Amino acid sequence: MNTLIRLAALWRKETLALLRDRHGLAALFLMPAIFILVMSLALRDAFVPGMPADLGYAIVDIDRSEASQALEQQLAGIDVLREFGVLESESVAREAVASGRIAFVLVIPQGFAAQMASTRSATADPGPTLRMLADPTVPLAVRNGFRQQVEAEVTRLQLTGLLGRIGRSLMIPELHELASNAPPPQVLTEAVRGTGVGDEAGNATPQALPSSVQQNVPAWLIFSMFFVVVPISAVFIAERQHGTLQRLATQQVSFGLILAGKLLPFFVVNQVQAVVMVLVGQHLVPLAGGEALVLPASAASLFALWLMAAAVSLAAVAWALLIASVARTSEQATVIGGVGNILMGAIGGIMVPKFVMPATMQPLTQISPMAWALDGFHRVMLRDGVATDILPPAIALVSFALAALGVAILLNRRALRATR
Amino acid sequence: MIVVHDLVHRYRPDASPALDGVTLQIERGSLFGLLGPNGAGKTTLISLVAGLLAAQLGRITIDGQPLADFRSTQPNAIALVPQDYAFYPMLTVAENLAFFAGVQGLARSLQTERCAAAIHFARLEGVARQLAGELSGGLRRRLNLAIGLLGDPALLLLDEPTVGVDPQSRHFLLDAIRDLGEAGKTVIYTSHYMDEVEALCDRVAIIDHGKVLVQGRLTDVLRDEAPALTLRLDRALPSTLADDWAVRYPGFAHTRDSIRLHPFVAEALPGLLAELQAADCQPRALSFGTQNLEEVFMRLTRRSLRD
Repeated sequence: MNTLIRLAALWRKETLALLRDRHGLAALFLMPAIFILVMSLALRDAFVPGMPADLGYAIVDIDRSEASQALEQQLAGIDVLREFGVLESESVAREAVASGRIAFVLVIPQGFAAQMASTRSATADPGPTLRMLADPTVPLAVRNGFRQQVEAEVTRLQLTGLLGRIGRSLMIPELHELASNAPPPQVLTEAVRGTGVGDEAGNATPQALPSSVQQNVPAWLIFSMFFVVVPISAVFIAERQHGTLQRLATQQVSFGLILAGKLLPFFVVNQVQAVVMVLVGQHLVPLAGGEALVLPASAASLFALWLMAAAVSLAAVAWALLIASVARTSEQATVIGGVGNILMGAIGGIMVPKFVMPATMQPLTQISPMAWALDGFHRVMLRDGVATDILPPAIALVSFALAALGVAILLNRRALRATR
Repeated sequence: MIVVHDLVHRYRPDASPALDGVTLQIERGSLFGLLGPNGAGKTTLISLVAGLLAAQLGRITIDGQPLADFRSTQPNAIALVPQDYAFYPMLTVAENLAFFAGVQGLARSLQTERCAAAIHFARLEGVARQLAGELSGGLRRRLNLAIGLLGDPALLLLDEPTVGVDPQSRHFLLDAIRDLGEAGKTVIYTSHYMDEVEALCDRVAIIDHGKVLVQGRLTDVLRDEAPALTLRLDRALPSTLADDWAVRYPGFAHTRDSIRLHPFVAEALPGLLAELQAADCQPRALSFGTQNLEEVFMRLTRRSLRD
């Protein structure tokens, strides 16, 4: 009860202090809203669905026939797609697509060669069907393009086979029969949604291409969440400089309680930021002529989205407390925190989307907690990911938060000692 | 009774001690003046008594209880009023008081009661809804003091509570502190203003370089067993002369524009005056035989409180 009264007083104080900090509020709410609006519109054309340079496909050849190998060779001639070769099984293929490593996998079923040679009516015997496993984040136009390419190659194979047979037998009626009854090439497309995202190397880098609003809403939300460094450090440093922490320590308010007093209000502020920025993406951006943000429909995905927001918040508040502990003045904190945030944002794909960075630079993004956060949001927003899908980035963010809090506590050990 | 016994404290193992065997006895209900120049160890001593620092050597007891035990059984019994304005400028006076009452874990009704009492005591009624950052220096000092009273502490540690205030607020604060003493609270008061300490405190201690130079009842400390001479000058004493006299006259001390000889040897006066005249310094005032706290301080530390 006593602790609750103390916590309530600390929470109220932080809330009042924030509400009266106009600059802090502007940095937390106005800045990201403007960024989302402006950047979503300005970069709208840069995010038009297209074929990324590193989009690739693989094949699962169950038939292992001359016909299937001929199809593989035909497809290898497509210049715009990277070829990842032949995968050993469909389950491996599904995992590769789900993790975003490969955009398409063509599954050549058992009996494919027989179907190629068949002259029976498709309606009488549809036979085995080619299946294409596709990453749902790949634009529909690209998916259709690949499917049509496969169908064209299959048709070419069929005609080649037919002409071979004509050459061997010179039987004109067979040609006539094929023209009227041969089963049309057919590729069934299946979108493989994200489950078990992440590869063994732990560097899952989904090739998902977000739309402009899908990039900018989470990006600038993350950026602004980290800007709690401004109000947190302003109050914390003032408390340290003006002897308020000493006074609180005399009143036996532990340093842990003081930290808890700061964590919760700013956690709530971060969640409010998340709601506001999503609303901006959903309602304000389309009003200005941009694409509306669409959130996943399932409760599990929405829960995962909230988990990500919570993990980012924890990291952002811990980062702010670390900066407040390192800096001697609030001006120093604003500079160190601000520059740190900008660097994390620049490296982490906030300001420049990761997928437009050169391939050599893309791995660098992983040193920024903001990149982990953006990755987590995209896993949910683009792939309808659930809680298990965002575990790697969420765990990374929580680890970062714990490390930052640990260092902050070490730096304030004198204050801690005082509370004994 | 607060007993500080043989307290030693170093901020770093290789540093000279901030406190070097400090022993003090402070009676309950007394107004205790703690004097010393900057760096003497006052803040360290106050921090130890407040529980902000842990004693490395020596002990502190209150009414026979070790300090840690006393603090755990009576968490709000010791209050520190720091020299800084240790409150939140972006909160109003009332909000600050409510916050500091809240973090002491006081029940809601008690918070309201104590806040009202503190506002009344510090005469802050007219500014209760004003942001603390917009208050004048004097009102800020009053708020600083009022916050210290919220826990109804038995021991109040006041660190330079009148720095930077106008004379009117200073008088108000001194009266208020005197009232606290009369109400039975123990007050440990540090100040650079000797006249304040003389006017307020019944017991004093002077510390320098981490050691207690003198302590006791104010009247005992001021009692001068040997006559002393104090000369106020019309200009600063030349440093060459000051260095020379420091060697020649035991008990010589000086500030920028005054000198003091204790004990005073009457035969030395003509020579002193002649040397002053030669150095183009003229005496403005001369006192003999009595001493105030500042003179005691100068005699003991050989320097001014503000050096």
